[in-house]
Amino acid sequence: MKIDSKNSFWFILLAALLLGVLPFITPYKALASQMLIFAIFAMGYDIVFGYTGLLSFGHAAYFGLGAYGTGLSLIHLSAPTLVALLIGIVSSVLIAFPIGYLSIRRRGIYFAMTTMAFAQMLYFIAFKWRSLTGGDDGLHGVPRPHLGPINLGSELTLYYFILVFFILSVFLGIRIIHSPFGKTLECLRENEDRARSIGFSPTRFKLMSFVISAFFAGLAGGLYALLQNFVPLYSLNLDTSGDIVLMALIGGMGTLYGPIMGAMALVLLKDLLTTSTNIWPLFLGLLFVISVMTFRKGVFKELKERFLSF
Amino acid sequence: MDHNFIFAQLFNGLILGSIYVLLSLGLTVIFGTLGVVNFAHGALYMLGAYAAYSVVKLLNFHFVVALLICPIIIGFIGILLEKFLISKLYKLPHFYNLLLTFGIMFFIQDGIKIIYGPEGVPFNLPQFLGGAANLGFMVIPEYRLFIILITGFLALGVWLFIEKTKLGAVIRAGTDDSETADALGTNISRVFTLVFGMGAALSGLAGVIAAPIQDVGPLMGMNYLTESFVVVIVGGMGSIKGSILAGLIVGELVTVGIMFWPPMSTTLIYIFMAVVLIIRPRGLMGRAAFFE
Repeated sequence: MKIDSKNSFWFILLAALLLGVLPFITPYKALASQMLIFAIFAMGYDIVFGYTGLLSFGHAAYFGLGAYGTGLSLIHLSAPTLVALLIGIVSSVLIAFPIGYLSIRRRGIYFAMTTMAFAQMLYFIAFKWRSLTGGDDGLHGVPRPHLGPINLGSELTLYYFILVFFILSVFLGIRIIHSPFGKTLECLRENEDRARSIGFSPTRFKLMSFVISAFFAGLAGGLYALLQNFVPLYSLNLDTSGDIVLMALIGGMGTLYGPIMGAMALVLLKDLLTTSTNIWPLFLGLLFVISVMTFRKGVFKELKERFLSF
Repeated sequence: MDHNFIFAQLFNGLILGSIYVLLSLGLTVIFGTLGVVNFAHGALYMLGAYAAYSVVKLLNFHFVVALLICPIIIGFIGILLEKFLISKLYKLPHFYNLLLTFGIMFFIQDGIKIIYGPEGVPFNLPQFLGGAANLGFMVIPEYRLFIILITGFLALGVWLFIEKTKLGAVIRAGTDDSETADALGTNISRVFTLVFGMGAALSGLAGVIAAPIQDVGPLMGMNYLTESFVVVIVGGMGSIKGSILAGLIVGELVTVGIMFWPPMSTTLIYIFMAVVLIIRPRGLMGRAAFFE
């Protein structure tokens, strides 16, 4: 996303303009916030999926943990907003460590299946533990406390609050990807045996990348709880895990900006389709089939290769 | 707790375990041969139940007719899916087929919702199996006994087919080295299509058998999907014997779990899986580095 400075200057300017006015373009303001939240989630997911080459099929777990962690600390501890978000992130990261450690012992689909099964485990715990999580009714009444003088009660203010986190996440993501650490992840994806033979421990790097992506998922989840004033149980379920894979895949895995755009496009599309029809799952299934069969590099990457060269 | 109660619970575990084994057979055959994690499995299972509903309720045929015809219909659907979609991705990393079948799952589920409505449809026990059988220590519905017997019969049949027949040997050869098997003169892609069709038919058959005791609805497969994945992971992915063993263990675990701590019995399955993964990552009877 760097390289040619002239083109990327215009690209960044355009992106900044678009993000600045986004809530005025979307049908309602909370939708723009939701697009940013899933963009953070998808970008973080891309670190483990696109860059490290590990298909985690249970990332809803970390999104949900972030959401429940933030929501519960806002309700029961009356924590300040930023502390609550931090608690959400810490919950995700703390759980991602043991699950990641157990899952990376296997590769490929085994990894996918194991991460999925652990996510299901958390889903069932949240489902059964009604007194804490509200079960399938979800966690209601998450407040949005003021942030110093700023009133987050307004949807527009909240959007810009989320935008700040989005921009920080993108910078952090780019830093991680272009660091030696990021390059090692790509090396692991391309040839794990060679990476090991030149002295990199695949286990350690994979675990780190898994936990980093859980960090972003936890942040996204926490922001989601703030946005909705509510944590739905489906934030933990298999559909959410699948959605995030599709967002990364459709946008183009291993590019960071691809999953960001994929997430924004998919959230917008889902909203437009669910308000006008009730065939969203049918369409989602079709989208999965088409993107896996025809453009595995992602729509945006294909377009970029053809029309832009930066 | 007296003896009879414990016996009865263990027997209930056996019934539940049989259902798990029945559900995971199609999944195991497809994974064990093609390396495809078939997420559409649950949807094919649901299609089997809806096919049974259409044959028995709408067309007024006998349940036995549904048992024979529906798996063939679902198997045919499986063959089409393999031929036009799944087979194109064999050469790519295995997770692409996982994602593809995940998409197919949504498509089928929503398609059924549009055709039959979101509510689910009624399906009763077939009359000739509607009674109860006295086993001495407990009385159980005949239909449950029927499930145990047919699962045992099917599991044995599939195992014998893969391990002891000539076609089974060709299938195993294709799994180990599809290029060499192809070079030696078998049309291996046709064999793979057939295997996927067979796996789909087994999923469909499981749906037909489960229809009278489950709520037949568009999402019925989704509910059992992850649990049958756990059975397959614990058993060792691709091992038929492994999934039979794992299915029975998981069934007992759930029913015994209900005796002690009801809310956690489903979670217990996943904890058990975590323990197996820690001690033996390849599963009870799995081959090391199989399609990894």
